[in-house]
Amino acid sequence: MKLFLISARNVLRNRGRTFLTVLGAAVAILAFIMLRTILSAWTVAAEYAAKDRIATRHKVTFVMQLPKRYIDTIRETPGVKKATWMNWFGARDPKRPDDFFANMAVDPKTFLEVYDEVVVADADKQRWYEDRQGAIIGANLAKKMGLKVGDKVTLEGSIYPGDWTFNVSGIYTATRKSFDDSQFLFHWNYLNDSLPERRRDEIGWVVSRVDDPGKGASISQAIDSVFDQRDTQTTTMSERAMNLSFLGMFSAILTALDIVSVIILAIMMMILGNTIAMGVRERTREFAVLRAIGFTPGHVRTFIIGEAAFFGVLSGVVGVLLAYPIVQQGMGRWLEENMGGFFPYFRIEPMTVALALGLSVALGIGASLLPAARAAKLPVTEALRRVA
Amino acid sequence: MTEATQATEEPKGTPYRPEKGASPAIIELRGVRKEFKRGSEQLVVLNGLDLEVPEGSFEALMGPSGSGKSTLLNLIAGLDKPTGGSARVAGQELSKMTDGELAKFRARHIGFIFQAYNLIPVLTALENVELPLLLTSLPAAERKKRSQTALRVVGLEERMSHYPRQLSGGQEQRVAVARAIVNDPTIIVADEPTGDLDRKAADEILDLLGRLNQEFKKTILMVTHDPAAADRATVLRKLDKGTLV
Repeated sequence: MKLFLISARNVLRNRGRTFLTVLGAAVAILAFIMLRTILSAWTVAAEYAAKDRIATRHKVTFVMQLPKRYIDTIRETPGVKKATWMNWFGARDPKRPDDFFANMAVDPKTFLEVYDEVVVADADKQRWYEDRQGAIIGANLAKKMGLKVGDKVTLEGSIYPGDWTFNVSGIYTATRKSFDDSQFLFHWNYLNDSLPERRRDEIGWVVSRVDDPGKGASISQAIDSVFDQRDTQTTTMSERAMNLSFLGMFSAILTALDIVSVIILAIMMMILGNTIAMGVRERTREFAVLRAIGFTPGHVRTFIIGEAAFFGVLSGVVGVLLAYPIVQQGMGRWLEENMGGFFPYFRIEPMTVALALGLSVALGIGASLLPAARAAKLPVTEALRRVA
Repeated sequence: MTEATQATEEPKGTPYRPEKGASPAIIELRGVRKEFKRGSEQLVVLNGLDLEVPEGSFEALMGPSGSGKSTLLNLIAGLDKPTGGSARVAGQELSKMTDGELAKFRARHIGFIFQAYNLIPVLTALENVELPLLLTSLPAAERKKRSQTALRVVGLEERMSHYPRQLSGGQEQRVAVARAIVNDPTIIVADEPTGDLDRKAADEILDLLGRLNQEFKKTILMVTHDPAAADRATVLRKLDKGTLV
């Protein structure tokens, strides 16, 4: 028999209580993993952004438009290899008005050159190029909307009001985690030609590929300096920074999620602390007996902290085992299919698992420190008399 | 007798050996006082008590409730320290020891038997008996061998893998006796060892204590309210209001 065996056996002493405690703490760990995964999935587009892509938008906000002629100036900037432009269309499927998906007007040829992670069959690509009303849609969105190549689809515009009919030219997939495969991409010319004269030739933003990713900052500065003296000034930044600035709109939500994840851990600590404190109170006599036969206060502390560590390990492991089917397979798949614009890649990060396991053990130990210190400090004679 | 020899082998450290010319008493108390504070009130539980217990004796301590029996036993066992006077047990002055030194002293010299058995419910009989040996550097195989021997001495070799809840009260107390002797202590202190037992089980425990005293030459100090238990001791001492009478 080893000393730690006593701690391990004590964890299983009251199986009903242990089951409920571990389950309660495991649910807290599960919630923690879920929130951390939402946070990491939210920023995945930024983390996996292409290093050789920069984006140019209106200096005030990306909601404001740039003159289309800017694209030519940007293409002439030294270091810029290719450039494309796009407009946020913001339409909805009238059959499912509550389902969000990104839909954008793009210049097909240059778009596929700049976003070379987008994979479209050659025949589909050709069909798209040739059809002014053609659109390519992500595989996820196609599945969700029940669309296939050759179908017609009508979207209801909000930024550009009216009913807009498109032909599905192709279905695309993406080789990069950060690229949302639930998007709807169609000809910018179709949009532009349909607009009243005063709204024509305006673009949302420009995305460029640069020769040397290391020179991205200086090229960005060069682009912005060209437009400094014009009526419409620009801000150029890396794709990562662009994605982050988009996420910045949701910073309050992200901060709230961060705070809630900490609160959840505090709840877990209280659950474990309560169980451990109850167990220690009930076993005051046993600790007194151990002290009487020669065990030291240090041994008593070790027994109690060891027991808490077992609780922490059990809770962490159960929480992680629950998280994979619930968070990654269930919730993750649903989010990727239905909210791919926000969560293109929803997976539990190994670091989140390590953090959850580490924190569950650390918090278990933390919750036991006070009961352990009290039990170790109690005079043996008093402890024996108290319960004898 | 082979079992007895094994059970009394020295696990670790130096056994108690009286110094040449020194008093043969294994317990020697001089002017021991013990006071407790209850609120603003100062309670004198032991009042200048003198006591000498020779090695190998079996002594019973009786007295009314509150007379200081358990306090005296706790002082001798190193669970508590006297407020004044000298308490020399197994050649060591307990009043000057730190808590850590007292813990080592108890592990080496004292075997405890409690009224309520106080076994650890999540451990088997064998594991309960092995507990004091976890504080020694004995290898696991040797610890197990000694624990099995101690259980054999108390007649529970068939119940080694039983948990306390699977044992009767008498059997639990015999496991407690095995735990008390497994590390070959100098002194066995028993606080009402038969208090929770029926007559038959109580007699079995008293027989066992008598055997430990006679065959294994263990010094036994027993607090009891039971006259039948006191009759088994070789010396009977009575305590009243903190003084031996």
